[in-house]
Amino acid sequence: MIPLPYYLLISAFMFIMGVIGVLTRKNAIIVFMSIELMLNAANLSFVAFSSFLGNIYGQLFVFFVMAVAAAEAAVGLAIIISIFRNKATVNLDEINLLKW
Amino acid sequence: MIPVQDLFASAPLLIIGGSILIALILEMVFDSQSSIVAWFSGSALLFTAYWSLYHLYDRGFAFNNMISISGRTQLLFFIVNFAAAVVVMFSMDYIKKIQTNYGEFYILLLSAVLGMMLIAAARDMVIVFIGLEQMSICFYVLAGFRRKNIKSNESAIKYFLLGSFATGFIVYGMALLYGASQTFSIPEYLAHVETLKSNPIFLLGSLLFVIGFTFKIAAVPFHMWVPDVYQGAPTNVTAFMSTAGKVSGFAALITFLSPFIDYSARTTGSAKFFMPFLATLSVLSMLYGAIVALSQSDVKRMLAYSSIAHAGYMLIGLSALSYEGVDGVLFYLVAYTLMNLGAFGIISILETQDEKMLKIEDFAGLSSRSPLLAAFLAVFLFALAGLPPFAGFFGKYFVFVSAVENGMTWLAIVGVISSVISVYFYLRIIVLMYFSKGENTEVVSVPKSALLGVFVVFIMFVIMSAFPQKFEGIIHTIGLLTY
Amino acid sequence: MDLYLILFYFFAIITLVSAFFVVTTRNVIYAAFNLMLTLFGVAGFYVLLGADFIAIVQLIVYVGGILILLIFGVMLTNKITDTDIKSGFLNRVPGLLIVGTFAGILIGTLLKSTWRIAAPLPPPVAGLVGIGNLLMTEYTLIFEILGAVLLIALIGAASIARKQSN
Repeated sequence: MIPLPYYLLISAFMFIMGVIGVLTRKNAIIVFMSIELMLNAANLSFVAFSSFLGNIYGQLFVFFVMAVAAAEAAVGLAIIISIFRNKATVNLDEINLLKW
Repeated sequence: MIPVQDLFASAPLLIIGGSILIALILEMVFDSQSSIVAWFSGSALLFTAYWSLYHLYDRGFAFNNMISISGRTQLLFFIVNFAAAVVVMFSMDYIKKIQTNYGEFYILLLSAVLGMMLIAAARDMVIVFIGLEQMSICFYVLAGFRRKNIKSNESAIKYFLLGSFATGFIVYGMALLYGASQTFSIPEYLAHVETLKSNPIFLLGSLLFVIGFTFKIAAVPFHMWVPDVYQGAPTNVTAFMSTAGKVSGFAALITFLSPFIDYSARTTGSAKFFMPFLATLSVLSMLYGAIVALSQSDVKRMLAYSSIAHAGYMLIGLSALSYEGVDGVLFYLVAYTLMNLGAFGIISILETQDEKMLKIEDFAGLSSRSPLLAAFLAVFLFALAGLPPFAGFFGKYFVFVSAVENGMTWLAIVGVISSVISVYFYLRIIVLMYFSKGENTEVVSVPKSALLGVFVVFIMFVIMSAFPQKFEGIIHTIGLLTY
Repeated sequence: MDLYLILFYFFAIITLVSAFFVVTTRNVIYAAFNLMLTLFGVAGFYVLLGADFIAIVQLIVYVGGILILLIFGVMLTNKITDTDIKSGFLNRVPGLLIVGTFAGILIGTLLKSTWRIAAPLPPPVAGLVGIGNLLMTEYTLIFEILGAVLLIALIGAASIARKQSN
């Protein structure tokens, strides 16, 4: 059987890749995708813990995280579209009226 | 079936939740130029603030222990509702001035308050998370509410991306907390604090969780967004984010750390493992905020850096992990909320449609253009600088004392140094207002509702400054009731 | 080698490789498609872990909802025919430095710590029934609040993304 740390390591690697993406990429949409990677990594940990501990709460929380991620995605895309209307770019280093 | 006591205990939440729906209907029925939604949400917020203050000493649990109502919760309810009500007063004319007079503004404000109240009342990490997201989503939209203005768009996207990044840390931290403790319930943490405090996974999870929340309280290392977002967002929104947003960030931290605070109070000094970490964040925030604020030329940006420094002072109280420290933090939060609301409120009155009057040099000669506003602003800035006899001074005093009592005198000394540095940039504005002549000499037109808002804040602030001991006593009493 | 382990490695490779491409590819559309593969891989893990309901929700919400929304975002903000859809990298060195330290701490702690749970998988928790019961009893409040979160996201998104004219 697959031991728990295997899942946790996969999840940790995904999380770290997400962090790298947020810190190094400059396209707002890709940054957002990296954030989704981080959330998925956390969800994977939750489900792994949940089934190895025989405790349903972790799965329930994943359900909440997904709902919240959907809400965030909707708002995020609206913001990206509104900035694109005014500025015609979504690259973060061109969005520099205020110092980043 | 939900018992009646549950409904009564969670009445503030239900009132605000219901108001959101009613405000939605009002916005739909009445035409967009009428300010009925503003009046309605303002009175709902004031009523809830009054309700929480009236029930200050009540205790209750609701919804299967997901929510607990105690004195501390009621006080936090009061702060966020009061702040939001004052922001409604500021906004009525301000959002007309910046040509975004839409009723959604107030609906989003009410929803943000609902999220904050959930955080303040939470006894379960899931509630903290959902409340946080409810609040953050409203803030992302509010920051970009001036949607034809590129600065506002920019502040919204930065806030959104970094806020979601912080959410990622919080969720991952919660996953590790869950794996180590098998539960989300804070009373359960309290029961097993003995074993949890030596579990490395739990500690790592806690660190990630706290790091995620440094975003909401605007402390180092997640401070990068603060200056840009505070500068770019509409000023009334900044007033709200920098006060109520910070209050709820600290509320979440206090809720999460409360098992350890309790543990360290019971067994003197053996749960201090968070101390070095929180103390480091505190020192970094204080010094960074105070030093960088010196070189700013934009008022909102300067106040943003000052708010980073203030988060640092409040973290001193938390890093002491003692009841006195938490009482100090609460006192400081109330005082800070009033001072900052006042200062940002006055800036929102002075700001012109084409975003003039936001540079520091624009404040030259303000005392002759509008003596009343200049006097109010001077008081709030003196208080932010932490000079006696204002409440800002007592807030710092209580926090520093708690640090000294817990053997962290060095932390208090760093705090004093940083306060001394920060006196300079606050006084600079006061000196400009009173002792130099500006080119602009036209008299400022002051909208009545906003002036009323500033006045209410000022009265509250004066009362608090006049009776700091009494106020601290009340906070101490309700703090004892919480456990 | 048993089937579970083979499936595990299969999903692990899909997830990690595509996650790597999400973060490194210069083309936004490629990134979106790689994200889809990652999400599928994670759903596969959920099935292996006995959380089949969550796996299906993952496919519906993430792949069917969020990813489509993201692709809409790409289409609306970039002219698809232009080569302008590429995107570069920003402050790479300091970012990687911080992440390196963080990764070391995280993976070190995960590897070092001992887990109380023994090897064999306990009987899978009754996913759908358990979640449904909790949502209607213990977590009623959160279920309601989620409704408020989604409502406010709807209002907020509509209010900033609507047409410019008043």
